[in-house]
Amino acid sequence: MTGLPRYLQIALGFIVIAGLIIVPMNFNRYGLFILSQWAVMTIAAIGLNLTLGYAGQVSLAQGAFVGIGAYAAAIMTSQGLPLISALGVAIVLCFAIGWLLGYPALRVQHHYLAFVTLAFSTLAFLVFRNEDWLTKGIYGISNIPRPSVFGFPTNRPLPFYYLCLGSLGIVSVAVWWLIRSPWGRAFVALRENPIRALSLGIDTRRYTLMAFAIGSALGGVAGTLYAPLTQYIDPVPFNLSLSLDLLMMVIIGGAGFFFGPFLGAMIAVLLPEWLRFTQGYYLMLYAIAVILLLIYSPTGLLGILDRLMAERRTKMASALRAVAQSKLEAAP
Amino acid sequence: MTTVLEVSDIRKSFGGITAVDGVSFDVQEGEILGLIGPNGCGKSTLFNCILGQLTPSGGEVKVDGKVVTGLRPSALNRLGVSRTFQLLQVFPKLSVRENLILAGQEHQGSMLSRLFGPSDAGLTDAADQMIGFFKLDHLATEPAGGLSYGQQKLLDAAMAFMGGPRLVLLDEPAGGVNLTMLADLRERLAAINREKRATFVVIEHNMEFVMSLCSRVMVMAEGKVLAMGRPDQIRANPAVIEAYLGH
Repeated sequence: MTGLPRYLQIALGFIVIAGLIIVPMNFNRYGLFILSQWAVMTIAAIGLNLTLGYAGQVSLAQGAFVGIGAYAAAIMTSQGLPLISALGVAIVLCFAIGWLLGYPALRVQHHYLAFVTLAFSTLAFLVFRNEDWLTKGIYGISNIPRPSVFGFPTNRPLPFYYLCLGSLGIVSVAVWWLIRSPWGRAFVALRENPIRALSLGIDTRRYTLMAFAIGSALGGVAGTLYAPLTQYIDPVPFNLSLSLDLLMMVIIGGAGFFFGPFLGAMIAVLLPEWLRFTQGYYLMLYAIAVILLLIYSPTGLLGILDRLMAERRTKMASALRAVAQSKLEAAP
Repeated sequence: MTTVLEVSDIRKSFGGITAVDGVSFDVQEGEILGLIGPNGCGKSTLFNCILGQLTPSGGEVKVDGKVVTGLRPSALNRLGVSRTFQLLQVFPKLSVRENLILAGQEHQGSMLSRLFGPSDAGLTDAADQMIGFFKLDHLATEPAGGLSYGQQKLLDAAMAFMGGPRLVLLDEPAGGVNLTMLADLRERLAAINREKRATFVVIEHNMEFVMSLCSRVMVMAEGKVLAMGRPDQIRANPAVIEAYLGH
C-alpha cells in the first residue's frame, strides 16, 4: 500500500468500504453469515497479529479468548443483559487473562511459549466443556439473542452483518492508531531485537504483557460477536483448531502487516466456500493452495507485495545513483 | 569536577572462569575513557555488568553517586546511561529516522501519554538534527537494513545519543568501519563531547582511534586492570607493551 500515491490509497479504501456496505445488500442469508464470520474472525486475527506479527510473541491461545468472549456474551445476554455489558466483561476478562498469560513470555520464547499457550487453550476448552453449571457443557447454549443497536434490532442477517462490519471498522481504527503510536514502534523493537530495545529504555516486560493483553482482549471482542452470530455455542468451535486457524490467517495474510489479517481471514473463511464447486476436493485444493503460497512467500500474501515494492525502490535508487554518477563523470 | 561513573571491585564469574576480577575505576564528567585489552580480557563483560545486561558476582556500580548495580538496562537508560554494542544493533525494517525516534521515545512522557500523543513522540525535529549531525541526511527515510555497514555504525552511534544521555558506553564503535567514515565518527564523537559535555567510555582495538579520542586509557588483561593513564603514558608502559601493544 505504501507504494501507491496517497490519493489512490484513500480512493481504494473508499471503494472497498463502499463495496463491503453495498454489495452484500443482495446476498442471501448464507452469504451474509459467511461475510459476518469473516468480519468476526478478522477482529480475532487482528488481535493475534498484534501479539505475534508486531510484538513477535507466539500464541496458540487466541481461539480460547474468542471462546471466553463468546461464553461471556451467551451467558449474559441469555440472562437479559445487554450485549454491550457482555462486551465490557469480555474485554476486561480477556485483557486480565492475556496479561497473566504474557508472564511466561518473559521467560520463554518461540516453541516453548507456543506450548505454554497451547496448554492454556486446552485448559479453557476443558472449562467450557466440564463446567456445566456455567457453560451448559456439551449441550451448549442456544437461542442467544441478537442485540438492538441505538434502537435498531439486528435480528435479521443484514443488520447484524453491518454490526459486525462496524465493529471491525472501530477495531481497525483503534489498532491502526496503536501501531502508528510509539507503542507500535516499541512492539516492533521487541520483535526484532529485545536486547537492543532494553538498552534504549524500552520496558520490554511491560510491552510484552501489553501485547498479550490487548491481542487477547480483541479475541474477546470477536467472541462477543460470534455468539449472537451463530446464536448457539458449544465448546467444540473453541478448541485448538480455531487457534490454529487464526494463526494460519495471520501467517497467510502476512504477519506484521496491518492488512494481513483481513486478507488471511478472507482466504481462510471465503476460499473454502468458493472452492465448494469442486465438491469432495475442495479441502485438498485449499490445503495445496496454502502450502504453495507459504513455499513461495513465507511472509504471506502482503509479503509478496512488500518484496515487489522493495525491488522497485532498489531499482529506482540504482537508476538515480547511475544518473548522479554519469553527471559527475561528465562534469569538467 | 563531578564523578559520573564509579565502578568498585566488580567481579563476574561464569562457573569456574572469572571473566572480570575486581575492577575499579571512575569516570569524570566530560571525560572520554578508552578501554583496551586483548580479546577475551573481560572488556565487554565489564560493560554488560555496568549496564545491567549481566548481574555482577560482586562489587558496586554508581551513576552520579546513586547505586545502580543490577538495575535493568531500560531503567539505567532512563537514568541517562546509553550504549552501543560490539555487533550492529539497528532495527533494519525501520527507517533511519524511525530508528532515532525509537531510540528517544521512552524519554518522552509516560507510557500512557505516548499511546495518545503524536506518533513521532514529538521527536522528528530532534531525530533530523541527529541525522544531520551524523551526516546521514540523504538516508533519513531509507530502511536501516539497506545502509552500508559504516552508515549503520554511524546510525547505531547516533541512536545512543537520542535520549540526551549523561554517560555513553561505546563497544568497538570503529570495528569494520572504513578510514573515511572512521574519521567522520571520531570527529562527531569529539564534537558531542565538546559541545554537550557528554561522558564516554569507549572499548576499541583501533589504537590510533583510542589514542586520538580519549583523555585517559584503561588497559585490561585477564579480567584485571593492568594500567590506567594518559594515552602517552599507556603507550610507554612496558607492561602494556608486553601484554597488548607489542613492540
